[in-house]
Amino acid sequence: MKSKQMWRWFLGVVGSLALLGPACAQKPPLYTHWENFTTANGMPDEKVLSVAVDGDRVWAGTENGLVLIEKGKIQKVYKPEDGLANRVVTGIAVDPASGDVWLATFGGLSRLSGGHFHNYTNLTSGLANDITYGVAIQDEYVWVATTAGTNRFNTRTGEWSIFSEKNAPIQEPWSYGIAVAEKKVYVAIWGGGILEYDIAGGYWKPYTDPDGEMEIVLFKNQGLIHIIVSNIAWNKDTQMFWASTYFGLSGYDGRNWHNYLSMDSGLASDFINAPKSRGDEVWACTDKGLSYLNFKTNTWVTYRPNAKTGRGEIVITAPDKKVTTMETSTSLAHNYILNMDFQGDDIWVATATGLSHGIRETTRESNKEGKVHEHTTASR
Amino acid sequence: MLSKVARKIVRRIVFAGVPFFFVFACSALPQSAEPQKPATEAPPAHRYANMPDEAVPYGKFSKPYKEWYVDNDTLDYFGAARERVVQEIDTSKTVNIGFLGPLENNYEAPYGQAMLHGAQMALEEANARGGYGASGMSRGRPYALKIHNDSAQWGASSTEAVKMLFDEHVVAVLGSIDGASTHIMLRVSLKLEFPIMDTGTTDPTVTETRVPWLMHTFPDDRQQGYTLADYVFKQLKLKKIGVFRTHSRYARIGVEKFFDEAKRMGRVPPLEVKFERGDQDFSTQLRMLQNAHIEGLVIWGEAPDAARILKQMRSMGMKQPVFGSSRMAYPALLEIAGSAAEGVVTTSPLDPTRTDPQWQEFRKKYQAKFNEEPDAYAAYAYDGMNILIGAIEKKGLNRGKIMDGLREYYGKTYDGVGEREEFDYTLNNIAPLALAKVDGGKFVYLPAQRRESSAAHSGAGAP
Repeated sequence: MKSKQMWRWFLGVVGSLALLGPACAQKPPLYTHWENFTTANGMPDEKVLSVAVDGDRVWAGTENGLVLIEKGKIQKVYKPEDGLANRVVTGIAVDPASGDVWLATFGGLSRLSGGHFHNYTNLTSGLANDITYGVAIQDEYVWVATTAGTNRFNTRTGEWSIFSEKNAPIQEPWSYGIAVAEKKVYVAIWGGGILEYDIAGGYWKPYTDPDGEMEIVLFKNQGLIHIIVSNIAWNKDTQMFWASTYFGLSGYDGRNWHNYLSMDSGLASDFINAPKSRGDEVWACTDKGLSYLNFKTNTWVTYRPNAKTGRGEIVITAPDKKVTTMETSTSLAHNYILNMDFQGDDIWVATATGLSHGIRETTRESNKEGKVHEHTTASR
Repeated sequence: MLSKVARKIVRRIVFAGVPFFFVFACSALPQSAEPQKPATEAPPAHRYANMPDEAVPYGKFSKPYKEWYVDNDTLDYFGAARERVVQEIDTSKTVNIGFLGPLENNYEAPYGQAMLHGAQMALEEANARGGYGASGMSRGRPYALKIHNDSAQWGASSTEAVKMLFDEHVVAVLGSIDGASTHIMLRVSLKLEFPIMDTGTTDPTVTETRVPWLMHTFPDDRQQGYTLADYVFKQLKLKKIGVFRTHSRYARIGVEKFFDEAKRMGRVPPLEVKFERGDQDFSTQLRMLQNAHIEGLVIWGEAPDAARILKQMRSMGMKQPVFGSSRMAYPALLEIAGSAAEGVVTTSPLDPTRTDPQWQEFRKKYQAKFNEEPDAYAAYAYDGMNILIGAIEKKGLNRGKIMDGLREYYGKTYDGVGEREEFDYTLNNIAPLALAKVDGGKFVYLPAQRRESSAAHSGAGAP
């Protein structure tokens, strides 16, 4: 009898463990190994402005050309003399249907197809302006964020559309980034918030800072945190968009806004160049490191190089604000992060001094790998 | 069947593990979405932009969750520009500085020409001193201004900036006047990392982006709006003010802060009407203003347009006092409007009747060189170029370090020909403005009304 009771009790505990196990398993992924591509090993410029993963291929846009990385090596560097519209490559999108690579540059839009470039400029096409910041693919359409409006190019018909303050609900036309969702297209506007384009209906809906003031955030989750939006990402798993600003991070789930500032979270800095999101992961490319948020658990992880030791630093901020710091022997190339993309479990990060490949090694995520310092006050 | 030993082990594991498990599992569960209190309750040291009490947004209702621009790290920079080597800059025979301003085919060209003249004068004086890196008897490298016209068609300034960076290898850029052009260039500066000395725009939002690559000397529309609202509502105690402005971004942004303070004082302007630059007939809009029974009128536009409005207004028997933006304080207002301009009060970023030696010397040299009177655009460009050259001389030919030199003006002052300029943590000049009143057919300048300044808090002084 006694052993039967013991069995029941034991099975009950095991059952509970099985049910709650996934919650325990939501430990943030840790990138403990970094490989950097810099001018020392073939990058044409130290500043990497954009990065996009296409299967095994990684495309990086720098201040001096486009780089193709494959099998862990730089395979090719494309420059204006190869046909690229301009040396400054700010945005990259790969068309999943054709494999064409579309490039936002500071001299127009470039399409790399079959090894050849075709360029679209203000003088030769319907491109609103040659200074372009972002590009995205929506079926047969290519969307481009330019200094003078948002373009939509129909690759089948060759038709160009321009959306600006003249035909969209915005006061400023300066678009910065584009994210394509299943039924919508989202545009990040400098001074105009976020524009949502309904693909089926063909109409726009604006999201702006509800307090209407540049100098304040009136309430934490008031709506979009600031009117100057630097970029936008769509998470198809959670059906949320995430907007980066130089005034914090904003997420919208269709009903509620979720805003984060460095003063109330583990976000490394309020100055964010770009967001990225999948599953429960939200990433923020800040000027003080790469921050990760597990949206479900509210656990934050920031990756940055330690300026004094040259080693990597991982700062984990638990939901209770308890901060744990780890050191790794390798690190991001720089703390100033401009962009990132996913490649399976790995990440690729565009920084001010090179492209960093973050390799997730689950076996090395234990604290044994690096020095661990725990403290309960914020480290920033 | 478990053995006795096995049962003991299981019991120990379970009893030891359960509390740990619950602590761990709870911390991994989703957190409440309820608003959280800010991490610090400490009030900011200063009020942004020396904002008057009445202009504080939501000041009567709530304390903001977060206030920007009041911390001394507002524009701190964490990138790699300080280590970046641009070989073309190092090997160039001249130290190139870009200039972007409206010089032709543009309504703002008169201001752009004045801004160019002010910048040129400062540059020529630096070259007369020996140029960059001059010491003792040995001359340094001469400064060269790379002049670009700002056509102010939206987007054009960005392509000009890219040309300056990669074709002319400038170390910094001075410009522009149009707020949109300046914003557009600022966006390029964030990617390509070069300092902008903005000496002409009145758009207050260009210093409110947190992009750490811009310094601004010209008193902006926030300061102009506050000054005018103080005068109209507090000193004259008027209540119903109409607004008549150009159909332009300059005026749309311009009247915003005046509107904000008016609104928060319970003095919402009953009517705002617009006109196109160069219009000749304003009778429809004036009748609308007349019917709104306004007690005074604020015009936001250029002097020639304002002068024609004044003439027509007076001819219609409208005797209300008229106030306006700084671009009305030009001789064209007096020449075109004549007696109809009498009593008009505008904001004025500059008092040209000052007698201090610095202003008098600048004025004399400027007149001799360009055969014209210097205006505010010339004065602030001259000061801005001198600040920029000072930073270059101090920090060397590295764009990141030059911006560090400009960032040393956080909460500091600069005594230039534009009088004392006071820089806040956005590197914006927030010095109080004078008013200009038309009295006896000429402008008479009323001294600036000083609000408490953040520069005063932080021990103002040149860096």
